Amino acid sequence: MAYCIRCGVKLEEGSKACPLCKTPVHLPEGMEEQKQQPLFAQNLPSRGVGGVNKTRKGVIELIVSLLVISELTVFLSLWLSGNGSQSFIPLFSIAMAALSLILAFSVKPAYTVQASIQCLLAAVYLFGLDAADLEISWSLIAGPAVGVGWLYFVHPFTRRAAQKPKAAAGACLAGSLAYLALINLVLEQSLTWFIPVTLPVIASLLVLVGLFGLWFSKRKNKRVPLADVVLATLVVLFGTITSLDFFLSWYQLGIFTLRWSRGLLGASLVILVFLISVSVSRRVRRYFTSHNRHT
Amino acid sequence: MKIRVQNYAPEGFIALDNSALIYPPTEAVFNANTFRVSLDLSFTIKKEILEQAVYDLLERCSYAKVSLHAGFFWYFLSPNPKQPVVHPEGSYPSGRFFFKENNGYLFKVLYSEHRIALECFHALTDGSGAIAYLKLLVERYCHYAGIADFQFPGGLIFKARPSTQEFSDPFQHLYDKTLPSFLKISKAYHRKGNGSIDDCVKVISASIPTKQIKARAKARGITIGEYLSSTYLYALQQLQQQEVPVRRQRKPIRLSVPMNLRKIFGYETMRNFTLFAVIGIEPALGWYTFDEIAKEVHMQMAMSQDRKRLLSQIRRNVGGERTPLIRFAPNMLKNPLFKLLSDYLGDDQYSGVISNLGQLDLPPALEGVIRRADFHLSPGLLNRVALAVIGYLDTIVVNFTSFLNTDTELERLFCTFLVEDGIEVTLSTNRETDR
Repeated sequence: MAYCIRCGVKLEEGSKACPLCKTPVHLPEGMEEQKQQPLFAQNLPSRGVGGVNKTRKGVIELIVSLLVISELTVFLSLWLSGNGSQSFIPLFSIAMAALSLILAFSVKPAYTVQASIQCLLAAVYLFGLDAADLEISWSLIAGPAVGVGWLYFVHPFTRRAAQKPKAAAGACLAGSLAYLALINLVLEQSLTWFIPVTLPVIASLLVLVGLFGLWFSKRKNKRVPLADVVLATLVVLFGTITSLDFFLSWYQLGIFTLRWSRGLLGASLVILVFLISVSVSRRVRRYFTSHNRHT
Repeated sequence: MKIRVQNYAPEGFIALDNSALIYPPTEAVFNANTFRVSLDLSFTIKKEILEQAVYDLLERCSYAKVSLHAGFFWYFLSPNPKQPVVHPEGSYPSGRFFFKENNGYLFKVLYSEHRIALECFHALTDGSGAIAYLKLLVERYCHYAGIADFQFPGGLIFKARPSTQEFSDPFQHLYDKTLPSFLKISKAYHRKGNGSIDDCVKVISASIPTKQIKARAKARGITIGEYLSSTYLYALQQLQQQEVPVRRQRKPIRLSVPMNLRKIFGYETMRNFTLFAVIGIEPALGWYTFDEIAKEVHMQMAMSQDRKRLLSQIRRNVGGERTPLIRFAPNMLKNPLFKLLSDYLGDDQYSGVISNLGQLDLPPALEGVIRRADFHLSPGLLNRVALAVIGYLDTIVVNFTSFLNTDTELERLFCTFLVEDGIEVTLSTNRETDR
């Protein structure tokens, strides 16, 4: 009978290793032990399978029970009060809420998975509500909005998007454009304002972002202070809104003019001048940084 | 005190006892709610003889000849007309019970070359009840095999008529609604363990000479059970220290220790009649030496066995069952609630289970024949390692059952402490690494 040299426990005859620390048993040369008597009979069966967490299972069962009870109660009360024809929306809402909770408790608890499922369910729910009168109208705008939300708030956190951030940003832009075109089509059955207003505004946004990106990437040490990023964002935002006013005036009045965005344009120009002067003049930059604060 | 006994009506509906109510709804892959007791004998076990012995067992204990059914309001037992099945032993004990394969019975008789084992679903009985069944089974087997005619001390008498108390639910008699309910305690530390898990129950079995462990326990003024509980707590404390370096963030470490209430309240029931003593330490207060833990355990065990506290605990459990809202809620609503409650009032509160069946009293005729006795508990998903203790002749067997495939750190710390304390530990396992 052998002892484990690490744990000090005695091992059953024929053991090849200590079950506690896996240290192999080395017998003196020429010494042989009898084959180990197994603790239990039979050959080892194949590996077992995974199972469902008891608490989760309990919660899911509870939701299913409450779903059945509430569906029956709502249906019967509406039917008995003579409003059976109006029971679709409450019954559908209860079923979708239950489905949402069940999926939240049964699928992998990861943000991207959970949020994707909930987005899909929200879109289905909106289409379902709209289809209650057997016509689809407003859900053509509301449903895809959930998809755009997914592109901005869920997709960037997926593994694929993290590997290809530029493609993810492109997907966001393409999705937004497609959504705006869809809204135009749904509301006016043709691309009335999408081509003369939306496309130029998006183009100006891209130009501004591209220019700032180029500028910042060309900096000597490639370090961009947070203040510069914030200020550049403001310039891009104000500039894009100004372009919206500009192209909207042309679409509505037929002339290129600025109606309500002059203040924004002025502000963006001031910020831009400030950014350029801070970038060009070391003296101005030092004035606004902590280097000369105590001198 | 006059004992009122619930009538046993073989052709009717048999209500589950109070502590069994929680087991059927919470039964799941990683929550089997089963346990196994077994005896290894020096002669070869023959299936045909064992079947005859099982027949006798059910003849004597007709209250075990039942199957479980889901009713509209509660799960219930009803007489089972089918024949019991005797199974060859598999590689893993205390797994999930597949009632259909077992003709609906809540216990399973298993055999191997030298072993007779009885695996029970907890809704039928507790460890002490199962030991009584096993004793009768072995007794009848030896009778039919022509080995010896004997009777286990304190065991069921085959020829005696079953007393009505054997299938009574003492919790219902002891319930006193005027008592304050037992308080709930906070969440305890749970060790997840490293590596993967599956539903096969892996066992590491430690055999310890009774004399040595008795001497070590006596030196500290505690019982063997308390000594083993203290060792378990000490091992968990070391693991928690590695996992949670900040002392203030350490949760209490507690153990659930089933107590046999038969001796305390003087009942002879064969149903579940246990409550759990929850004993533990507060590592957030600082490091506990083994002797400090032993002192705490001794004190807390004594307090837990106090009749008044136990009655208050019974008040909480039975009171819950009798609440009209629970009583008249359909089973489909109660099942999920019970699943949540079993965590909230059970598994959440402790970091491990240690069940001690005590010393197995053997008749003189069996002393030369017995090779080994075992007791295995099914582990859970929250507390992935369970510990079951049984004593026979001059040996104590401590069985660690675990879902963890490779992690044996808890077992290692437990056993190495015993070795360092001067106790000889002999190990055997059904883990694949050792074969």
